[in-house]
Amino acid sequence: MTVNSLSFMVFFLVVALCFYLLPKKFQWVCLLVASLAFYALAGATTFVWIFITCVTTYLAVRQMERMDDALKVSLKSGEPLSKEEQKKAKAEEKARKRKILVLLLVINIGILVMLKYCNFLINNVNLVLGAVGIPALNQLGLVAPLGISYYTLTSMGYAIDVYKGKYKPEHNFFKNMLFISFFPIMTQGPFSRFNDLAPQLFAQHSFSYQNLSFGCQRILWGFFKKFVIADRLQPAMNTIFSNYNDYSGMSIFLGCIYMSVQIYADSSAYLDIVAGFSQILDIRLAENFQRPFFSQSLAEYWRRWHITLSAWFRDYVFYPLSISKQAIKFGKFGKKHFGIRVGKLFPAIYGMCIVWFFTGLWHDASWRYILWGVSNGVVMIAAMLLEPTFNKWKDALHIKSDSNYWRRFSIVRTFLLVAVLKVFPASSSTSASLHATWKMITDFRPVFTFDAWFPSLTPTDVVFLAYGLIFFLIVSNIQEKHPVRPWLAEKPLVVRWLIYFLLLGSILTMGVFNISMVGGFAYAQF
Amino acid sequence: MEKVMEILKELRPDVDFENCTTLIDDGILDSFDIVSLIGELTDAFDVEISFDDIDPENFNSAEKIYALIQKLEEE
Repeated sequence: MTVNSLSFMVFFLVVALCFYLLPKKFQWVCLLVASLAFYALAGATTFVWIFITCVTTYLAVRQMERMDDALKVSLKSGEPLSKEEQKKAKAEEKARKRKILVLLLVINIGILVMLKYCNFLINNVNLVLGAVGIPALNQLGLVAPLGISYYTLTSMGYAIDVYKGKYKPEHNFFKNMLFISFFPIMTQGPFSRFNDLAPQLFAQHSFSYQNLSFGCQRILWGFFKKFVIADRLQPAMNTIFSNYNDYSGMSIFLGCIYMSVQIYADSSAYLDIVAGFSQILDIRLAENFQRPFFSQSLAEYWRRWHITLSAWFRDYVFYPLSISKQAIKFGKFGKKHFGIRVGKLFPAIYGMCIVWFFTGLWHDASWRYILWGVSNGVVMIAAMLLEPTFNKWKDALHIKSDSNYWRRFSIVRTFLLVAVLKVFPASSSTSASLHATWKMITDFRPVFTFDAWFPSLTPTDVVFLAYGLIFFLIVSNIQEKHPVRPWLAEKPLVVRWLIYFLLLGSILTMGVFNISMVGGFAYAQF
Repeated sequence: MEKVMEILKELRPDVDFENCTTLIDDGILDSFDIVSLIGELTDAFDVEISFDDIDPENFNSAEKIYALIQKLEEE
């Protein structure tokens, strides 16, 4: 059961009715039961792993809180301590808390590695063993449970925040469980912070017509992007990358652009749909996309694309790495050998190298995704290092950074760069991605046939896609200036309903609904 | 405070550090700026800014940054 299926609509209708008809104090229970039911209906084969994550996270956050409380009591009511003694007591308590956090991370990241990355590790070990003539290890028959990459990082973020003392943990085990397993976000995000989402999950909500109206509008907009754009574009991209040897570099390049647009339409559609459903329940989810194709640099693109994942890696991986003792040493080494300006960038570069390796690995246990992640990191590091050179060139060419034409050029350049790097995730294997890249460079011959531009599509598909993309662009342009739904709410009734019917009519007449095509969302596989 | 202001202005001459109180909340300083700033503050004040101190609350304004440095110096 995916969120764009009819069965989910029925499921959600039942949940929403129970949510608003039950006494308000049971609303969170309704969400927990719905979340567990959704997990089972969405194809989860076992609850064991998510249950282990819930239990271990709960025990860890509660124990850390008890330690904090015990320290406060002893400092307040015990014998007066000198400043040095207080400092020592705090340091000891921090060290004990750190041990608990590390144990929790080892257990949960260990489960994630075992279930998602074990066979990838075995395959790589086997390559080494094969080279020295040692028999290969057998692969394990483990299957990564649904949503493990999402709920593991969400719960670890929660525990780290409690460790840092950002907020107090929830005392009720089942409420903790609801935060980790809330059904709209458990399989595909967005990653939520406990202090943002949990108070909403546990609060008492009243039905509001505006939430229903705004929620339905957002769901409709998500369906439009999913059915009219993403699912219609997918066959062209699949055909090119399944048979890249039959296509010229130009078609492969087009395939990269299709992949870029398709995955944006698909993943932002998912967010719109789950955010819409959540809004009907009076719950606001974190935003995950901020029109990334309007970005003027790759760094900006990553601040506007999958925002909650980038923020997770920034807060819990990039910062600790970039300000670690090793990073500071690396910075001093950089200042000594490459000058002060470049040396200052070294700690951030150190953090970025590791973050982008893991960002690639988080998406999929494969070298092509690692290559994709690392390529993104390399481009951003190069941009940081070469910034003064680029500025000199711009000055020499009398280019003004804030001029409209430079802004438009930067947007197009970033879009094409993002698209070209999509060659790695779009290909079926690492070697295929390298071959496809090589073809783009060495065999970029323009071919003017319909199949070379739009493989597996019909002229009708192309017309529908063009319509969908123009509509998408117009709405995105409006969103860049102001939120669309409040703006729409101020329009006369006739105009509003005309737009709703246009959107609904477009979905029903131009959407792709055949059974083989209506499937999951791209990010669910991660 | 002057030293903090000097470091901030060298890092980002385009930002009004005297009046801005939403440096992190409004994305005025990005993660690269924060890492560079921590490196500079560590060198200038001989304090250790740890992962636990990285919180928007501590970096949202020049005054908050100065307060963090004072807290770390006292420790």
